[in-house]
Amino acid sequence: MKSGERLRLGFVYGLLGLVPVFLLGWLGYVQVAQAGELDRKGRAPLRLVAATAARQGAVVERTPAPRGSIVDRNGQPLAFDRPVYEVRAWIGLSKKRRASTVAMREWLDGLARDFAVALASDPELADRGVARRKHEERLRKLITREFGMQRLPAGDRALPEGFPRSAELRLAGEVDVLPVIDALRAIGKRRDLRGFVRLDFLPAFARSYPDRHLTYGIVGHTVTEWARQSSGGRELVTFGTVGLEAANVLSRGVGHERPGRRDGDGRPYFLAPPMLDPARPVLHGTLDLELQRIATDELATQAEAGAKVGKVTVPKWGALVLVEVASGDVVAAASWHRDVDNYKSASFTPYQSLFEPGSIIKPLVCAYALEAGVLDWGHVYDCRPHGSDYRDTIRGLGRRKPVRDDHPCQDLNAHGILVNSSNIGMSLIGLGLAREQWRDYMRFYGFGEGLDLPLPHGRVGGWPRQSFDPSTRLKSFRANSAISFSFGYEFQVTAFHIARAYLRMMRGQDAELRVCRGVELDGKWLPAPRLREGGKLSPRVLAAVRDAMADVMSPAEGATGRHAHRLIAREYGIDIHGLVAGKTGTAASMVGIPGRGRVSVRNASFVGFLPAHAPRWLAVCVLQKDDSARFYGGSYAAPPAVRLLLQAERLAAERRRRQESRVAGGQTR
Amino acid sequence: MRWLLAGLMFAAFVAIAIFTATLRAENATRRHGLERHTTEVRDRWIELQRLEAVLLDSESWQRLAVAHSRALAAEFERRRGRLQ
Repeated sequence: MKSGERLRLGFVYGLLGLVPVFLLGWLGYVQVAQAGELDRKGRAPLRLVAATAARQGAVVERTPAPRGSIVDRNGQPLAFDRPVYEVRAWIGLSKKRRASTVAMREWLDGLARDFAVALASDPELADRGVARRKHEERLRKLITREFGMQRLPAGDRALPEGFPRSAELRLAGEVDVLPVIDALRAIGKRRDLRGFVRLDFLPAFARSYPDRHLTYGIVGHTVTEWARQSSGGRELVTFGTVGLEAANVLSRGVGHERPGRRDGDGRPYFLAPPMLDPARPVLHGTLDLELQRIATDELATQAEAGAKVGKVTVPKWGALVLVEVASGDVVAAASWHRDVDNYKSASFTPYQSLFEPGSIIKPLVCAYALEAGVLDWGHVYDCRPHGSDYRDTIRGLGRRKPVRDDHPCQDLNAHGILVNSSNIGMSLIGLGLAREQWRDYMRFYGFGEGLDLPLPHGRVGGWPRQSFDPSTRLKSFRANSAISFSFGYEFQVTAFHIARAYLRMMRGQDAELRVCRGVELDGKWLPAPRLREGGKLSPRVLAAVRDAMADVMSPAEGATGRHAHRLIAREYGIDIHGLVAGKTGTAASMVGIPGRGRVSVRNASFVGFLPAHAPRWLAVCVLQKDDSARFYGGSYAAPPAVRLLLQAERLAAERRRRQESRVAGGQTR
Repeated sequence: MRWLLAGLMFAAFVAIAIFTATLRAENATRRHGLERHTTEVRDRWIELQRLEAVLLDSESWQRLAVAHSRALAAEFERRRGRLQ
């Protein structure tokens, strides 16, 4: 190689080598020596470095954590989150539009109209024209507010300084109809709007409640409110306020972040697929949706029956509860109110409506007294209104109100007292218990105590303070509280309290109702605690009370369940004597009703179980009237409860048969 | 000859640079395409979830009626079997 060639080659390669050196030098000059900052109002200055550029090109799509689902005991969904979009629009004004407020208004009005047309493009809407007009009106107001158009001076002029040149609006939440989504996306792709309108479809969730009318109270509902973040901002937070929805575990779903970048036109493209079905906890309730439907229908039919035939008045409220005795699971809990259209805002009567239980309490008193050794089951009491026992034991106490029976009774033992529901007989039994024993009775059955259920706003009930006040004289306690307690007066309960009390009578002092069977969390099954039993009543006590309650449902004259016996025999052709055991109750009380003061109410109640001698199902029914119309537990509260018990047994037998046939056939059908 | 090689190398560098840029652009275009498809799938998934919820609610009476008639048929068969 000649020296000239070497020189030229060296020069060319030298130039090529200078290029990266120059680039590195330029990079150092721009990024280090010239690195600057942009001042931002109210925020830290923006550093003009490579990381800032990368950050501005990066986007993250955040999918919030879905709330957990609630299912019934057979896996039927009761509440679940389903994916929807929250659609937000960024709108910027071009220089041309900023030059004329009239043009700007026209363009923004047209935009509101286009959005409204898209939002009303759901083909299932009853009247799309009305929906479109409503959306248009709402969006116009929104745009006017965001761009401060109400403050704009009249006439056609350039947009004054200080007015926003762009705005971000929430067009709609819970967008889940495909034609609407497509219509909105088409607006986002319009060429004439490129650079001036950007639509963001943010992943969100909407809560669904199948068979909603059956589950208002027990499944409950959620509310969404603004809450302050720890970082200082505000965020929308959804939480359960009523029923099973209030369980904290439902808020423990896992959200998802999807990273992406923006191209030169600002359109995002993502570096990971979306998570269509994120993990969420599942709360398994004890409710059986089919039995819940039956309970709701039975209660409503019974409560409204009077209005249909026009003979009797309609109750004010009603509750019907069904419990599985082996587990304490509440499998059905129905609530009914007169003149209530929105059950979401009404109280859930099974655990929120208090009443004086009346005679349905008598088997519990007899069981306790027999176990405590103060009752001889075979002893015969004179239950006549002016009989010797009444004269000797009750009249002398100085009670203000005399004790009366609904129908005249004669000589009765404890069994007969329960069958005939004699208040005089029960008073004689109740007076055998000391004040401490009455307090222990309340504790044993859980009256005046919370239900230990994960259901907020439950009522506790209880008795007036003076009932067990040590300063109340014993004679006064015996004359008033002891006698009233004996036949279910002077204290208040809910239907759930009665169900729990009977569950405790059958299963022991520590038995509690359950409304949740367990939770599936992160793939793990976490069962709810099983039913505890604690101190139990002896089998002979239970047998004696069960026999008496079975005879309450006999066709015999004087048996308070004979009306229900006759009705069921006519409807189903079934003799329920010996099959269903129960106790009817009728109570007249004074209660305070907002706007009406203290009014007289009548409660018809019934508690029953099936099968009578080895109970599997326990039902409690209460109906309350706020007038003095004739109203009895045997004829009003017992029929729906007995029908529910029979349906529960039928359904269980059918399911057992289906399971057996699956096992026998060796295949799932 | 050397100049030819140098020229070819330069052309190769330029071709590689253009190819790389094209590939990256193609990559971005494909990602956009994928994103569009993903969006369409997600839109339809949302619609599917909605329809399932609607169906679940509207069909519950039917579902129960079917279950009930199945139970009645089974009970009928059982009683007939007992009679025979």
